[in-house]
Amino acid sequence: MSTPAMILAQDIHKRFGDLEVLKGIDAEVDEREVVCLIGPSGSGKSTLLRCMNALEKFQKGHITICGHDLTGSKTNVNEVRRDVGMVFQSFNVFPHMLVLDNLMLAPMKVLKVSKAEARERAMALLEKVGLVDKAKVYPTKLSGGQQQRVAIARALAMQPKVMLFDEPTSALDPETVGEVLEVMKALAEEGMTMMVVTHEMGFAREVADRVLFMDNGVVVEQGPPREIFDNPQHDRTRAFLSKIL
Amino acid sequence: MTIDFGAVLPYLPVMLKALGISIEVTVLSFFIGSVLGIFVYLGRRSGLAPLRWLAHGFIEVFRNTPLLVQLYLIYFGLPEVGINLNPFWSTLAGMTLNNAAYTAEIFRAGIESVPNGLVEAAGALGMRFSQTFRFIVLKPAIRNVLPALTNQFIVLFLFSSVGSVISLNELTSALADLNQRTLRTLEIFTIGGILYYLTSAVIAGSSRLAERYLFRW
Repeated sequence: MSTPAMILAQDIHKRFGDLEVLKGIDAEVDEREVVCLIGPSGSGKSTLLRCMNALEKFQKGHITICGHDLTGSKTNVNEVRRDVGMVFQSFNVFPHMLVLDNLMLAPMKVLKVSKAEARERAMALLEKVGLVDKAKVYPTKLSGGQQQRVAIARALAMQPKVMLFDEPTSALDPETVGEVLEVMKALAEEGMTMMVVTHEMGFAREVADRVLFMDNGVVVEQGPPREIFDNPQHDRTRAFLSKIL
Repeated sequence: MTIDFGAVLPYLPVMLKALGISIEVTVLSFFIGSVLGIFVYLGRRSGLAPLRWLAHGFIEVFRNTPLLVQLYLIYFGLPEVGINLNPFWSTLAGMTLNNAAYTAEIFRAGIESVPNGLVEAAGALGMRFSQTFRFIVLKPAIRNVLPALTNQFIVLFLFSSVGSVISLNELTSALADLNQRTLRTLEIFTIGGILYYLTSAVIAGSSRLAERYLFRW
């Protein structure tokens, strides 16, 4: 028997009022796998991703992630979220805390890690994302790319088993996109399990093990990046790629 | 009678002592009332309807009636149901409740000004609602409404003068007393006004310092 999937979503339905944004999604991410979600705006990619750590509720279907069942009403979402890191389009670094404190807060408050250990972890992660010299700086003094790297390090400080990325480079100036993608690529190479909503087709092609193309609330097709990008099977995929590439 | 400030200067220590009581009752009611105000705000957005109504009703009652009437009720009314508070505690109670109602609304504005993305990010890190509120929301929220809070602090301080009607020996009460004793109305109330003014100026200045050093990022 193979190891159970890190993320398994089955028949996810989600509606905002009368608008059905997810119409029966199946998705699976295995351990150490990098899956990119691509598709036009409004296709439901971000909503699907946000269902994975219960930032959104879904009306029907089933999600298990890192061994937690998100469907059961008894699930403690905070326990799930300890295992699932998330990076947002708008960074959401805590503006009133030094970069170092951004990284130390959740491990100390949620995991009850000692201050010394949280600090050590934080500095190691800042080293990893290339921002050691910014430890004692307020995030408002940083560029978008630097803030997003802080946000990635902050999520990693919880030592998650899975990382979710919600359009992590969409709000960045073009010249800082690369530094964020580099960090994500390094993370993927270390074997982090990742689910990435992105418009960066170059990144998806290079880093993803699998690409899911979503449109209008359904997964239209999925496969290795080479197949999706070079030999798409569906008209909608072709139409989307021809516009974006 | 000629104007002679020298004649009332010997009473300055009495005035300063009374000012101390004004400041004491203001500082206590501001801080206790502000903490209460945060809970009233949280009550207003609670999932429990009775709690929401209670918080809403509290704000409505205390914002829409004069502090003076509230003090009369507390000091002269409550003894009829067996609750006896001395002038200090009555004034403190009235000002605290009054301040809670006003700051609940101020905090609402402040808290709603904090980007929801920060709340989501804290939640995504596994932080509980109470942790998110305390560590992520509160400080930016207070910074965003610091001018309004400062204003409320000063207004509350000036309103502490109503304590004089229930014989709390605060500054206004002391001024009235000295006025009767010396009949130097102009001098007494000019000095009193200056004392109120200087104290308010210190509050406003402290707020600006807080803004610069405590809430700078």
